[in-house]
Amino acid sequence: MDEEYDCIVLGTGLKECILSGMLSVSGKKVLHVDRNKYYGGESASICPLEELFSKFAAAPPDESYGRGRDWNVDLIPKFLMANGSLVKLLIHTGVTRYLEFKSVEGSYVYKGGKIAKVPVDQKEALASDLMGVFEKRRFRNFLVYVQDFQADDPKTWKDFDPNTQNMQALYEKYSLDKNTQDFTGHALALHRDDSYLNRPAIETVNRIKLYSESLARYGKSPYLYPMYGLGELPQGFARLSAIYGGTYMLDKPIDEIVLGEGGRVVGVRSGNEIAKCKQVYCDPTYVPDKVHKKGKVIRCICLLDHPIANTKDALSTQIIIPQKQVGRSSDIYVSVVSYTHQVAAKGWFIAMVSTTVETDNPEVEIKPGLDLLGTIRQKFVSVSDYFEPTDDGLQSQIFISQSYDATTHFETTCLDVLDIFKRGTGEEFDFSKIKHELGDEEQ
Amino acid sequence: MATIRVPEQKIILCGEYGVGKSSIFRRFTNNTFVTATDRKSTLGLDHCSKIFSPSDRDLKLQLWDTGGMERVASITSSYYKFAEAAILVFSFDNPASFHVLSQHLLDIVTYAENAKIFLCGNKSDLIEEPPQITDSEMDNFCEQCHNLISGIYKTSCKTGEGLEEMFVDIASQLVNMNRSKIELQSIEQHGFKIVPYEEESQDDGCIC
Repeated sequence: MDEEYDCIVLGTGLKECILSGMLSVSGKKVLHVDRNKYYGGESASICPLEELFSKFAAAPPDESYGRGRDWNVDLIPKFLMANGSLVKLLIHTGVTRYLEFKSVEGSYVYKGGKIAKVPVDQKEALASDLMGVFEKRRFRNFLVYVQDFQADDPKTWKDFDPNTQNMQALYEKYSLDKNTQDFTGHALALHRDDSYLNRPAIETVNRIKLYSESLARYGKSPYLYPMYGLGELPQGFARLSAIYGGTYMLDKPIDEIVLGEGGRVVGVRSGNEIAKCKQVYCDPTYVPDKVHKKGKVIRCICLLDHPIANTKDALSTQIIIPQKQVGRSSDIYVSVVSYTHQVAAKGWFIAMVSTTVETDNPEVEIKPGLDLLGTIRQKFVSVSDYFEPTDDGLQSQIFISQSYDATTHFETTCLDVLDIFKRGTGEEFDFSKIKHELGDEEQ
Repeated sequence: MATIRVPEQKIILCGEYGVGKSSIFRRFTNNTFVTATDRKSTLGLDHCSKIFSPSDRDLKLQLWDTGGMERVASITSSYYKFAEAAILVFSFDNPASFHVLSQHLLDIVTYAENAKIFLCGNKSDLIEEPPQITDSEMDNFCEQCHNLISGIYKTSCKTGEGLEEMFVDIASQLVNMNRSKIELQSIEQHGFKIVPYEEESQDDGCIC
């Protein structure tokens, strides 16, 4: 460990692993350390099942759960948008070659105590039972507008400037009612709350486009999920980093981040060893005094031996409960994966209900989500703090990622990573630095 | 243009740091050898595919190297996923690398349950007289692991001896074992790889 590095990365969560990979690829000498014995930190998928039960201090699972090793349970539920930034990162870095994916089968939205399929194209909009006859037509016109919209071609804006006018105005232009606004903003544009209504419409238009372009790629839904669970993602980027020369150390406690002149980081100490470096990249748990708490997220892992009712027995699905439907100010998310992804034993499903905590009794808050699941065989609840760094790291050269938020996809994760990379290196990540096809070496 | 895809089999190299896994990988890739442990020579190299045609059936062996992760940390479990075969490597000049093999074997059976496992004694040019690891010790090891080992090879990356033979033999064993399996592979059971938009239209839209 007593060596000198350009960068030391602490924690092997997804964000840190992506950063480590990007830094190694950019030619930096990287040391990547985790205090745990395993890769992935909070982004790991827990295997075997016995470990999940003991993590939550529950009695060991009985025989009905099948082989413990067949389970890989995520702690933080998320899906990939098929045309989203993480997929782009995976393709550009070549990490996609380590992974296999399945398309998530269904995308649903909650309305009036029931769930309905999220309509995305004109045909589905006309068939949807979310809207009345006249509203369907208005919604269809709105979808056509979004589809034809090109940010660089004002002719497609149809006398509406999405850069200055807000989303509320766009809804009003198409006379969409509150209900339609609700599922458009939350189930298509995937906003967590209603603050987007007062922001320029371009943001939401682009999000809806991302949703429909993602849907167009693999069918059924805009979401993808990796075989063997999300824990495969950080591991893939860790391998990328190692392939490009990064050094890995696990099970290594970090005792101190050593600062030098002007409060700039000069190294990292573990016991008597000090590794020197010019920069540190880490998750909030390694620097409790440099982050502040911004809120809390509740996540409830539910093990089920049946699919969710009214989803056509989907083996994977996402259900969004828009805030207003249940009198809240942030959405509740339900995501379901199953044995088909090699994350559960045959016949089993893992449902995860999560939301941003708003009251002193978060378990009650997620009840509308739990109620959709039917009989729950086992339930594990965790409430975790959501941390943000107190500064941008330019002074100390310690760059800290934000905790994982309640969103069910990786868009905010990637934004954070790209922003940290830019702050740390002073440049945007140059995707061309990676050998494009691995084909190079086989032809 | 519809082309018949040659079945591809992922093979992983396992074993202690310094036994010559990357040398085997380098021989496989471009048939070269370097003496110095030089990280740079494998930098950016991840895995490599070559077509073998045992008993007139084409099979693409896709060999994966560890990327040096085992030096201080452990290898990620995802390294083992989807592997059809694993080569357990030890070196003849380092008895410790042989005696620790059961640990690596355990990792393989845990994370790559269905992989066929092969034993490879590397640096055969350094075998002393009497040898530090004897043939009977190797046989004993195979017996102890309940005949999980499907083949034993002696190789020298320095001279190139035994390597081609090893891969040909592994290929022919995989062809026989997987004959029915490959044909039965259904999309139902498997996920897909994500590829850039442009590549999707091509028939061999595999990015690796």
